[in-house]
This record gives sequence, C-alpha cells and structure tokens, in this order.
Amino acid sequence: MKMKKFIAVLTMAGMMTALAAGCGSDNGSDSGDSGEWDAAKEITVVSREEGSGTRGAFTELFGVVDEDDNDMTTLEAQTTNNTSVMMTTVSENEYAIGYISLGSLDESLVKAVKIDGAEATAENIENGTYKVSRPFNVAVKPDLDNAVATDFLAFIMSTEGQAVVEEEGYIPVSDVQAYAGTQPEGKAVVGGSSSVSPVMEKLIEAYEAVNPNAEIELQTTDSTTGMTNAIEGSYDIGMASRELKEEEAAELTGTVIATDGIAVIVNLNNPTDDMTVDQVKSIYVGDVTTWDAI
Amino acid sequence: MKSKAWTEKFMQGVFFVAACASVLAVALICIFLFANGIPAIREIGFVKFITGDIWRPGSEQFGIFPMIIGSLYVTAGAVIFGVPIGILTSVFMAMYCPKKIYKPLKAATELLAGIPSVVYGFFGLVVVVPIVRSFGETLYDAGLVKSAGNGNSILTASLILGMMILPTIIGTTESAMRAVPVHYYEGSLALGATKERSIFRVIIPAAKSGVIAGIVLGMGRAIGETMAVIMIVGNQARLTTSMLDGIRTLTGNIVIEMGYATGIHREALIATGVVLFVFILIINFSVALLKRRADHE
Repeated sequence: MKMKKFIAVLTMAGMMTALAAGCGSDNGSDSGDSGEWDAAKEITVVSREEGSGTRGAFTELFGVVDEDDNDMTTLEAQTTNNTSVMMTTVSENEYAIGYISLGSLDESLVKAVKIDGAEATAENIENGTYKVSRPFNVAVKPDLDNAVATDFLAFIMSTEGQAVVEEEGYIPVSDVQAYAGTQPEGKAVVGGSSSVSPVMEKLIEAYEAVNPNAEIELQTTDSTTGMTNAIEGSYDIGMASRELKEEEAAELTGTVIATDGIAVIVNLNNPTDDMTVDQVKSIYVGDVTTWDAI
Repeated sequence: MKSKAWTEKFMQGVFFVAACASVLAVALICIFLFANGIPAIREIGFVKFITGDIWRPGSEQFGIFPMIIGSLYVTAGAVIFGVPIGILTSVFMAMYCPKKIYKPLKAATELLAGIPSVVYGFFGLVVVVPIVRSFGETLYDAGLVKSAGNGNSILTASLILGMMILPTIIGTTESAMRAVPVHYYEGSLALGATKERSIFRVIIPAAKSGVIAGIVLGMGRAIGETMAVIMIVGNQARLTTSMLDGIRTLTGNIVIEMGYATGIHREALIATGVVLFVFILIINFSVALLKRRADHE
C-alpha cells in the first residue's frame, strides 16, 4: 500500500517537472514567434577565444584593438572555442551577436548582417565591398620529400583545385594554371585548423579522383597543432586559418590557398539587417550594450 | 615446490610493474606540469600571475585571479545544490528505501555518474540555459537584480555541476551510513528518539568523516570538470558578483585557449594547470586526512 502511494507521488513529481520544463522552453520560443523583440535589452556579445584565427582576423578587421594592436574585446563577452557552440548560443539567444567563418554559416539557424551595406558573400569579398576576410594557409617544410604531398599542393594551387575552393563558398586564389600531375603513388597526412578542414576535405576528394594512386589522410585539430605537427614531421601538410607566426614561418613555407570571409551573425528574430564597421566595433569594445543604442 | 616459488616470484614482479605504471604516470604528469609551468610563473611573476585580474594574452597580461575565483564560485555552487540533495538521497537509500525501488534508484544514480560530461554540457546549453535566462529576466523585471544575464551563468554551471557530483556524494555517504553499527540506531530508538532524530542526530554524526570525504571528492570532481562547464558558463575572464553573470574557470581557461596558444601564452596556460593541480592536491590531502581520522575513530 505504502509502496503504491510512493510510486504515485513519484510519478506526479515527474510529470510536474516535465510540465515545468515544457513551460520554460515554450515561453522562450513564444516570445520569439510573437515578435516581442525588445531593443532596450542588453546585447549578449559572443566572441571566440584569444589566439583563435577567427578572433584575430575579426578584431583586426573591425579595429577592436588599441594603438598597439592589442585585442580590446570587452571582458563581458562570452567566450567559446567552438563554431557550433557559437551558432547555438546566437540561435538560442535573441539578443546575441557573434561571428563565424563564412563557410560554416548556416542561415537556417542565424542571420548574417550586412557590413557597411555589403552582404557577406564570396563575390563581395572578391570585389572588395565586403572587407572582413582572412587567408587560409597550408604550410610544409622546405625540404618536403613526399611526392604525393608535393603533387597535392600543386593540385590545390591549380585551376581544378581552386574551382573546388570557389564551389565551397570561399574566395579562390587568382592566376593559377591547369593541373599537370604526375600521379605519384603513396600516402600523405594533412592536418590542422578546423576552419580549413571542410574545404580541405573536398579538395582531397577531388584530388583522389584525378590521382587514384594517392591516399591522403585528413586530421582536424587547430592551427597551432597543425603548424607544430608540420614542423615535427607528423603532418606532411599543416593547415592554419591565420597568418603563420614568426617562429613557425622560420621553419615552414606557407601558401595561401583561399580567402575566407567572416560573417557577423545575429538571432533570426533580430530586426537588424545592416551594421557599420563602427557599430560592430562599439559593441565588441563594450561602448554600446543595448540594441537600441546603436 | 621450487617451480611454484619461481612462478610466484614472477607474478609478484608482474603485479609490481603494474603498480609502478600508475605511480609513474602521476610522477610524469607532475614533472611535466612543474617543469613547464614554474618557469612561466617566474617570468610573469608569481604575485602578478595569481592576483592579477586582467587576462589579455595578446597584450601579455596574464592574471588568473578571475579564473581562480570562477572555479571556487562554481564549485561552491555545486556544493550548495548537490550536497543537500545528495545527503537526503543517501538517507532515503540507506534508511527508508523499500527493497523494490532500491535497485532502480541505485542504478539511476550510478547511471548519472556514467553520462559523459559533454552530454551534460549540451543538456545545459539547450535546456537549463534558456530556463535560467527567463528566470533572470523575471528577477530583473521584479527589480531584484541589476542585470538579467543571458543564461550562460554561474547559476547554470552550479546547477549542472550539482547534478554531476550527486553520484559521488550519494555513493560515499550511503556506504558511510551503512557502516555505522546498527546498535547506535537501535539504542537511539530505544531511548525514545524518532526515526528522523536518530538519523540526523546519531547516524549522520557517526558517519561524519565519510560524509565529508564524499563532499570533498565531489568538490574535486566539480573543480576539475571542463567540457560541461565551458559550454554553459560564458567563459568571461573577469570578476563578477552576480550569480546570473558568466565567469571563466581554471579548466575552461586551459582548454579554450590551448588550441591556438604559442610561446609564453602556452606556458601561462600550463601554469594555470599547475594552480589547478595544487587545488586538486589540497583536496586529495584533505580526503586522506579525513580518512585517517575516520580510521582512528
């Protein structure tokens, strides 16, 4: 008898919690759907971590730096080291602003705003109206003796390789020639930046189609690991979503394989479509903290 | 006879080597941490490193004070949420629980320990963060707090961590309570005390050191937790006084910036690991101390 009562109480408690949780999330989406967007609410600034290639390029291009080029991103900014956490946070929080690589932008989750009237597209980056972009680098040791790696590099820097880059939404390198490969046999390891790796995956696919003799392994880590492992020799080719640092450039030869745009993203319910570089800057240095103040 | 002695010796050697492996692992980690971390601390300056409240690696400012406070905040928060629930659950499991539901309850608490922390983090990000955000907005509308926060906060991390340390606390507390001789309890009942009074005035005090060891172990888990925390705590490297604001923890600082760090920045992160390691050492020593005291009793 006692037992039954207990189970009944437990079930009731369980149902109540489920109900409460349900209500909680309902409220969240309700306020979004009915368009009660309140511009007086505080902006949630989301940023990448210090040292990230995306953050470095963002702060430099938007001028979120002081006279000595030191990063001045407001300390109130949330920090994440992950593109998907960045997108989830901005898609869940109506008052959030963030930035991600143009290639990883998912427009069903978040909205990319125009900067100074220019939409964040590959064309606009190429013709110079959208100015927020950064290079994708690959780096090899000067004395690289892996025939497959050398041939793969030649493929990336060929018309065919750059066509893949363009197809993926990045900006290709101009003045390249057609690929004239020798189809060497063997294995190569490519690794590094998680921003570069989606396009690298497509490049490897395309390369293995023209050279079935080669086997290329892709390892996704981060820019610094990519460069360190290329120096140590465990990667034949390292990838970095930033310029090579001095100590890395001393040991490696870098090549720019593509240019990537950085999209400034806001929640889908946010009515803001267009921002100026100065507005983005004032949010990121912490001068402006509410949406109606910009 | 002789061959038996030989195999025994041989197996003893095998066991010894196995035992050495874990000691060696700890020793190597210690050497790595201190050899890489101490020079960085010396270069930055010990006092500046520990008490500096500005962390801007880009401009060579390495102060981890906000992160130390952050780790302490979320750990304290986890204790506030986790300990009462944990102890009350153990009381139920050890003293009140009908046999039929004991097994599923035990299995559920053990399963809680087995859930990967990234799953806790994701659960926190999509479920708890929006709830805490609307809670913050309610408080703000009622004029109780100055800022509503955005859900990624100390409060959120404390809730999730409180959940994560439950199995540790429940496991240790329950076995400590079961280890109390049953005549203590019977004696108390015989003196006319109620069941509740006997439990809270006799059994729990008698199991005190076990209970405290469980709490301290839980704190160790909370302070060392990384993945779940970085997804929900906001990771702002600055001091705050509001539960609804985010903060960065020591573990979060390391894992967030390790990927791109080079030179002194990288060393400063390893030095952050040294500070964390010292915290864990303090926690482990206090557990050992409690255990010894318990043995003496």
